[in-house]
Amino acid sequence: MYAYQLEGNPYPSSPTPTEKDARILGGKRHKEAKSAILECIKELFNKVGGRDSNNGDFRVITLIQDVGSGKTHLALHIKNLQSRHNTVCTFLDLSTISPKTMPSLYNAIIKGFENEFFVQLRTKLVEYVCNRAEQGDNSAKKALDYSFVNKLSGMTIKQKAEEIISGKSSVSIENLKKFLVQWFNYYESNLIRNIITNSFNTVTNLEELLGMMAAISKLTHRFLSKIVLYEIDEFDGNQDSIEFVKGIINAHLPASVVLLISTPSGYDEIQGKSPSVFDRLEKANYKIDLAGSNSQEELLEIVLEYIKHNDKKGKFTQKTQDELAEKIQVLYDEFPEFRSVRSIINILYHAMEKSAELDLEKIDEIAIDETIKHTYPGLKVRGSIMSVPISDFISIRRTCDDDSTGMQLKRAVANLVNFAHEMGNIGKLEKQNQPLDVIYQDPYGAKIGIAVVINGNHTKNFEEISNISKSSALVDKLVILTNSNLPSSESTIIVNVDKSKIVDLLYFNHKYTDHKIAASDNEKAQMLARTVNII
Amino acid sequence: MSEKILERIASAGLNGIKKAELKKTFGKNCDEILQNLINTEQIFVEKKGVAYFVWTRNNYILHLSQNDPQFKIVLNMVMGKSHSMAKVKEHANNLEDTVSKISQQNVASSESDFKAEFDRRLTESSTSIGWAPFLDIRKKICESKKISPENFYSMASDLVERHREKYEVSSGGQEGIIMRGLVHGYVRNV
Repeated sequence: MYAYQLEGNPYPSSPTPTEKDARILGGKRHKEAKSAILECIKELFNKVGGRDSNNGDFRVITLIQDVGSGKTHLALHIKNLQSRHNTVCTFLDLSTISPKTMPSLYNAIIKGFENEFFVQLRTKLVEYVCNRAEQGDNSAKKALDYSFVNKLSGMTIKQKAEEIISGKSSVSIENLKKFLVQWFNYYESNLIRNIITNSFNTVTNLEELLGMMAAISKLTHRFLSKIVLYEIDEFDGNQDSIEFVKGIINAHLPASVVLLISTPSGYDEIQGKSPSVFDRLEKANYKIDLAGSNSQEELLEIVLEYIKHNDKKGKFTQKTQDELAEKIQVLYDEFPEFRSVRSIINILYHAMEKSAELDLEKIDEIAIDETIKHTYPGLKVRGSIMSVPISDFISIRRTCDDDSTGMQLKRAVANLVNFAHEMGNIGKLEKQNQPLDVIYQDPYGAKIGIAVVINGNHTKNFEEISNISKSSALVDKLVILTNSNLPSSESTIIVNVDKSKIVDLLYFNHKYTDHKIAASDNEKAQMLARTVNII
Repeated sequence: MSEKILERIASAGLNGIKKAELKKTFGKNCDEILQNLINTEQIFVEKKGVAYFVWTRNNYILHLSQNDPQFKIVLNMVMGKSHSMAKVKEHANNLEDTVSKISQQNVASSESDFKAEFDRRLTESSTSIGWAPFLDIRKKICESKKISPENFYSMASDLVERHREKYEVSSGGQEGIIMRGLVHGYVRNV
């Protein structure tokens, strides 16, 4: 059993999304982008409804964002939408096609459609020929291979067509060809023949490729009343890709939407390689903006959505969601490695597996710590001197913005001074004298005073520091530890204490007060004391 | 023993304590201890009439300042000077504060200058989708601000990290800021 009593791991494990993974779509920005794409499809669908499509019925959508931000996921999600009744969709990943020849591109486009699409279209096309035959068109009858013998045996034209649809009979290819050329253009005829015979011819040049794509779009609209969505992923500065996309845009495929997916660097390459294609992309009908797709808020929503979607027992309560959100927030803030949809999903996949292995009720600090140790073995907390384990880091970091942090830090610094004294690094300790938190003698007998000034409000910090500075006459050296960014003066040394240092100090303090400072920690603690000017 | 004797002397305050009384309390052996304390200037002994009185250092100074007019004059002169010194020191501290605040403001102002310039160049260089290569922005800012590319990228990294909610970066390109071990050569405003 996985955390939150889930029966399976809700997170995908593949480095790039699969169609199955893309069933769940989370995040406000991703959902807005989805709505924008569907809006474009709807607008075009309404425009071409009830009439023949023409080359003005063509839309281009661009989706440009960094790698790992969820572009492909979004494209696959739309492709698989159960509610998308007005569209057929093909997904083409240009990075998987090499060399990008016309036959290989055409083959990929055909394979990108669901098989069901061709089954439906084939049925409609055979029914069309059947209708023509029933209206007395002899060439249609011949195309269906409806013979005199069939008629004598009592078989109707419709029954013959049904046999063809079910695969019991086949058409007469030569006669079908003759029939089709009367009513369809060259590419449409070829495509219909290919579909009815379940055998696709190859193409040899760009003109043929575009002709076949236009035929797919036209026939889909005419016989299924649907528009075609061509999703083209990994579009970049590759010359063959540019020529292909340029051709598609210039061809104005009827009743079609082309979704071009790229990265900012790919977009920049296109600008350098082909100003004309770049200009066309700049004038795209819709530019889907996934701005903020890697923001903390968006990642959180996405991460939670996976569990919510699979939470059949209602165990993922608001409280547990908030707890998980806190942990993810720390990961996001402290580790740039996890600031993308792909990487945070990866961490959570492994953390979820760990939860099952350790039989945890929820994803806690231990699960995340173990996960990071195994999947990111070299990852360290940035700037940590005490080598704080990530689980402790997450736990301390979550609370280190509390009002009590200042007091805890004062105790931590006092204990660090005690530690340095015990280690023989400094001389005797003196009685505390407000406003200084610690006073001691260095090995040369000079009197050192330390004050900790940590407030959320920096103005308050400045006031306190200004007051404390007046105490510099009491000691030979005054050290002020603060979270405000201030320069040192001649009489006062300012030590800037960032969040990593706060965590280090608090972690040291926990260990020191619990008498858990091991021999291996001595050097680290001394180093920490050096960084805050105690030694 | 030494500490007990010191405590007893200190408890006598400004008037001091007769040496004979100490001998009575601590025995004749205390002579040696008293001599050690005198040598280390922790206590002072003065003959008053026929008796020897003993003070701790601080109490002896206070005793002199109240009973010896000559000492009182010298002390006042020294204190006056030290008072003036304290005033000079306080003034210097105030000046230091002011300088520090001004330098603080300068740092803040140079950061906000960089941000304003960065935003302006980002808007100039971006395509319709908002992304711009760092390279273009760097060239313009280094030229206008006369700063090195290293300096530019150091400031740009800080800016992007501090305003994570305002900027987005994307991997790729010839140059840019390094994140997750990758060159991120593109930036945009969110």
